[in-house]
Amino acid sequence: MFARIEIAVRPDLVDSTAQNLMRRIELTDPHLRRQIRWARYLEIYWLDLPVGREELIPALSEIAWDRVLQWVFTGNLMPAAAGKTGGLQDLMEVAPYRPGRFCGVERRYRPGVTDTKGRSFLDALEIVLGKKLDQGRASSGGLFVMEGPGLDEDVLARIARDILCNETLETWTLVPEDGLKKNERFHQERVKYDLPKWQPRGLQVVETFDLSKMSDSDLENLSRKKTFALSLEEMKAIQAYFNDPKVQEKRSLIGMKNATDVELEVIAQTWSEHCKHKIFNAVVTFEGQTIDSLFKTYVVGTTQNIKKPWLLSVFKDNGGICAFDDDDAFCVKVETHNSASALEPFGGSLTGMLAVNRDILGCGLGAKPVFNTNVMCIAPLDYRETLPDRILHPRRILDGVRRGVQQAGNQSGIPTINGALIFDERYLGKPLVYCGSGGIMPRISAGEPCEVKKILPGDRIFMVGGRVGKDGIHGATFSSLALSDHSPTSAVQLGDTMIQKRMADFLLEARDLGLYRAITDNGAGGLSSSVGEMALLSGGAQVDVSQAKAKYTGLKPFEIIVSESQERMTVIVPPIQVAGFQSLAERRGVEVSDLGEFNSSGSFDIFNTSVQVASLSLNFLHEGVPRLKLSAQWTPPAAAPSPILVSTNSEQVLESFKKLGQPVLLGLLSRPNIASKEWIIRQYDHEAQGTSVVKPLHITASGTTRAWSGPNDASVIKPKVTSDLGLAVGCGIQPKLSDIDPFLMAQAAVDEAVRNVLCVGAEYGTPDSVLALVDNFCWSDPIHDVEKMGALVRACQGLQNAALALGTPLISGKDSMKNEYQGMRRGQSISISVPPTLLITAVARVTDIKQARTADFKSVGDFIYLIGNNEFGLQGSELQSLVRETAQIHPVSAELHLGRPNWNLATQIYSWLGGAQGKQQFRLKSLHDLSEGGLMVAVAESLISRGLGASLWISGGRDPWELSFGEGFHSFVGSVAPDDAPSIEAEWDELGIPFQRIGNVENHDRLEVFVRGSAPATSSNGFGDLAFTATITQLRAAWSREGYWE
Amino acid sequence: MRPQSPHALVVTGDGIQGEGETAHAFRLAKFDVDIRHLNDLIQEKLGMDELCRKYSAVAFPGGFSFGDDLGAGRILGLKLTYQLGWDLATYASRGGLVLGIGNGFQALIRMGIFGKDLSITHNATGKWSDTWTKVTPSGNRCVWLRGLGTMDLPIRHAEGRIVIGASRRAETLAKLDRLGMACLKYEENSIGSDEKRAGLCDSTGRILGLMPRPESYIRGTAHPEWTAQRGRAGAPGVGLTFFENAYHEAM
Repeated sequence: MFARIEIAVRPDLVDSTAQNLMRRIELTDPHLRRQIRWARYLEIYWLDLPVGREELIPALSEIAWDRVLQWVFTGNLMPAAAGKTGGLQDLMEVAPYRPGRFCGVERRYRPGVTDTKGRSFLDALEIVLGKKLDQGRASSGGLFVMEGPGLDEDVLARIARDILCNETLETWTLVPEDGLKKNERFHQERVKYDLPKWQPRGLQVVETFDLSKMSDSDLENLSRKKTFALSLEEMKAIQAYFNDPKVQEKRSLIGMKNATDVELEVIAQTWSEHCKHKIFNAVVTFEGQTIDSLFKTYVVGTTQNIKKPWLLSVFKDNGGICAFDDDDAFCVKVETHNSASALEPFGGSLTGMLAVNRDILGCGLGAKPVFNTNVMCIAPLDYRETLPDRILHPRRILDGVRRGVQQAGNQSGIPTINGALIFDERYLGKPLVYCGSGGIMPRISAGEPCEVKKILPGDRIFMVGGRVGKDGIHGATFSSLALSDHSPTSAVQLGDTMIQKRMADFLLEARDLGLYRAITDNGAGGLSSSVGEMALLSGGAQVDVSQAKAKYTGLKPFEIIVSESQERMTVIVPPIQVAGFQSLAERRGVEVSDLGEFNSSGSFDIFNTSVQVASLSLNFLHEGVPRLKLSAQWTPPAAAPSPILVSTNSEQVLESFKKLGQPVLLGLLSRPNIASKEWIIRQYDHEAQGTSVVKPLHITASGTTRAWSGPNDASVIKPKVTSDLGLAVGCGIQPKLSDIDPFLMAQAAVDEAVRNVLCVGAEYGTPDSVLALVDNFCWSDPIHDVEKMGALVRACQGLQNAALALGTPLISGKDSMKNEYQGMRRGQSISISVPPTLLITAVARVTDIKQARTADFKSVGDFIYLIGNNEFGLQGSELQSLVRETAQIHPVSAELHLGRPNWNLATQIYSWLGGAQGKQQFRLKSLHDLSEGGLMVAVAESLISRGLGASLWISGGRDPWELSFGEGFHSFVGSVAPDDAPSIEAEWDELGIPFQRIGNVENHDRLEVFVRGSAPATSSNGFGDLAFTATITQLRAAWSREGYWE
Repeated sequence: MRPQSPHALVVTGDGIQGEGETAHAFRLAKFDVDIRHLNDLIQEKLGMDELCRKYSAVAFPGGFSFGDDLGAGRILGLKLTYQLGWDLATYASRGGLVLGIGNGFQALIRMGIFGKDLSITHNATGKWSDTWTKVTPSGNRCVWLRGLGTMDLPIRHAEGRIVIGASRRAETLAKLDRLGMACLKYEENSIGSDEKRAGLCDSTGRILGLMPRPESYIRGTAHPEWTAQRGRAGAPGVGLTFFENAYHEAM
């Protein structure tokens, strides 16, 4: 029988789903939100079951009705399921406005889309009824019921399109008020009509192209029409391959002539910028020199130079692999999902996180993900200008990305432990969404070393996890193009966390049982990339796409081979293990498809049943792409006039500091780049797996009304229950410095990432100290812009300079080169390029987690020190941006320096912090690095959670502005108990580590800043003249910046 | 001769996440632990008799079993009831101990272990929340909570708000109190749980379900403020006491 079930939250309880939808409507357009006075959300199931009414009613009431929480409407199937009439009217009667104007929007899945909730409903019925319902169907959806006088069709359509539905996957219909009140939608025929039906369209045809006679413009048109994203030169290389008489002869032997769409698609995916990194591998001319690949020169070259004994595998695999101890290794990978997140922030970030987790699962012999990271760069949330076409407001992007990251980590049980949120108006052109993950694996699995990928001819190729569908076709090539106002949303998909979780558990179990030989993820380019690349290890591969389990029939062979449908991995199983592999998969509820085998034929052969649809030389596929030749040039930008006034009159400087110090400090604390990210951090499960040692936030007085959180510099987890070794994860990102010099920007990112992990207790300084870096470049297209290319070269050089100086190897990385928007705003064409942005992720070992540190000052009376470099600058500082954007604040400073690195000094300080020199490090009671906002912000952040006070003295003879708010390299604020001060100061003196005692933690509720003259202090406490005061309440209020975030 | 260790069963699979740390906590408390996939238990038809014979304790860890489809813990509960035929109340009356944490607690609620007149739903804030909270045991019915006072534990969930059915509210509250089932309360009720309830036990005190995560606080260094008390870095966390209590009860 057919049935429709509607499940509503009881009217006396808050309907969280409806509330969240309303919030998203508000974010999309406050005007839309104002039209809705009341709303409820109902879950809907459409059922077609080979079960009678008598049997169905008790089963439904068992699985789908929580009487405490819910009302259930079923037409006349279960008459007593809700209020008076048993229908939606009961719910509408409790709406505050009567007689009110009601209407609804109903969403349901498009035919063929995976509907896991529907599947679960059927599973639940099968469990309760104790029998298989092979002929049964269940489809899930929802009905959003709203009340408001202004809800016309336009408003409802926008709500449906922009908020309620992902139109790639779902359709919607409007339900007018009388439709809601009547029960027609429950009628058998109507339910039958509403259930999605998949009708295969088109045939499994293979299109062929005779490239031999194509002109240049024909080739370019073909590339554009098919979203190949290939240049003319590349298309001509492909043409030459198919015209090669030797190739033609070989093809004629297997009955193939013209290039097939399968072949061209495979080449396009393999050669995409996303997969091949053509820009990073280009031959570049710069300042009279020829650079043979930025990647080889500055990234690989750096790590080769550093040579650490614990590097197990770098730049070869899905992520870098390092030894953690004698028994285990860790691996790290950071990706970006910018293009997808720009169009569909939730789906884009969710799939980005799940994809990077699969990189970890497919790294070496397969690692267990133990942490996630997420860094996001977006335009300010209070952006008020007209948005360019197709660009979403940063608030919507942030909300969607937050939900995606949250779902991916929280539902997979992987803690999201580190991240950053960077604001700059230029990220309107494309938001940057960095998705990172790290994993742990045994160094030997079933007798094989974890870092070696090996394949033998005859090994079987399995597709594991999700089914293949039309979703995500052309993701790799799409992300290799700039965002424009006609970018396809079809390239964006939704992830299914549960399918991936089951697959992940299964794969780790299979790894430990030795059931597979090698593994890799199916990411960009789908099977064409994963199988195509793995084929290099054996020397060839043959697959039959008809064997791939598909979401529906009717997929074309090329769609199967390039589809980026999510939650799939490629696993290579030796013939002898096939039965065991398949049987474990079945027991774990994971689908696997045996697609073919690896061989040593030298080619990648693809069949559709018995018909061959592609035969490509592996050598051509992987080596045939013409190298790009690019010119680069860098002109230092003319220094923008500084908004900070400079004066040689020290009295004037001091007066300005006394007057403006407090508003500047509070203004800086509330800047989005600095202010608290607690609202987002607490929505991420950052303690899953029970491994947390240092959390993104420290709390004091947790669980009480006095609870307050402050920031830590990085996180530490304890990935092994049997060991007190920890893993510290931090990051550095300084895009604002790109406007001064990308070289400095890259140095600053490296230094910041390293400082952050050192703060929490990372080891550093001995050959065995494990501290590895991951680089992620996000640029706007430098191919036709020599200056952008020059900036890229400068950044690479800065990265190399810093990594070599600190001896910290780069173990993995990724670049994303098309981060710009070209489109229209108010009918005018506009292009927006993101600032050159380099994210450095640092992952380091902590020798003993019991020695880990947090940033908060802990006890009254403790001494506060500035440790390390004390030469900062106000150029490029957050203070400079604050003054530029705030009309009322005009500080007068004495100097306007640019903070620069001093690597010799850095290695001295870091070796001490990292435990390689000295032995008093453990006496530090807190440590926090100086970054945005400088010393004063670092002190304030160390005070905020515990609510203690501090007195701070600024020594005379220094520009108080620069000392308090300047930014630079290698500096920390730490606190030490008075009893420990003599021994720690003696050690600093001995090791030549600069330090300065700058204050005390006090038993009051404010930060007092004194200026000490060159003459002996005049005031009674010996601290100097009181310059300004800020109470903890003020600091907290500024830093939390309530009302801005959500 | 040393007595044989009691055995604990930790159920996993289909989206359950916390099996590793829950098993580790049992092991630290000297249990022998089996982590078993739900599908394997179903395939082997591990019924009530074998459950009672083999295991002194069974735990349902936190996570997202079956993606929370049809309500958090619903399908897990149905599988235990219909496919394994487990009746946890009987198991408890025959001496078994049951622990449901987070999603495992949600499953116990859906199975009706604590009666039909209460349920669990979205936090009042409408948000997922990862933070630390203070909870206090009330009464002495629950064997898992013996000897524990007010303690800090982490919470990590979006649906931890216990709701008592409006129609029989007074009777339900009276019954929970009378039978000592309202065994754990929040000090600060940030998620808006009815009567500040953080956890419930059955009338035997042997089945405990709770939203806070004792298995995530078995070492001192898990606490968000441990760096302020360095001396205690090597000490166990209070969550371990739950499992040690179970050990003493099982021996």
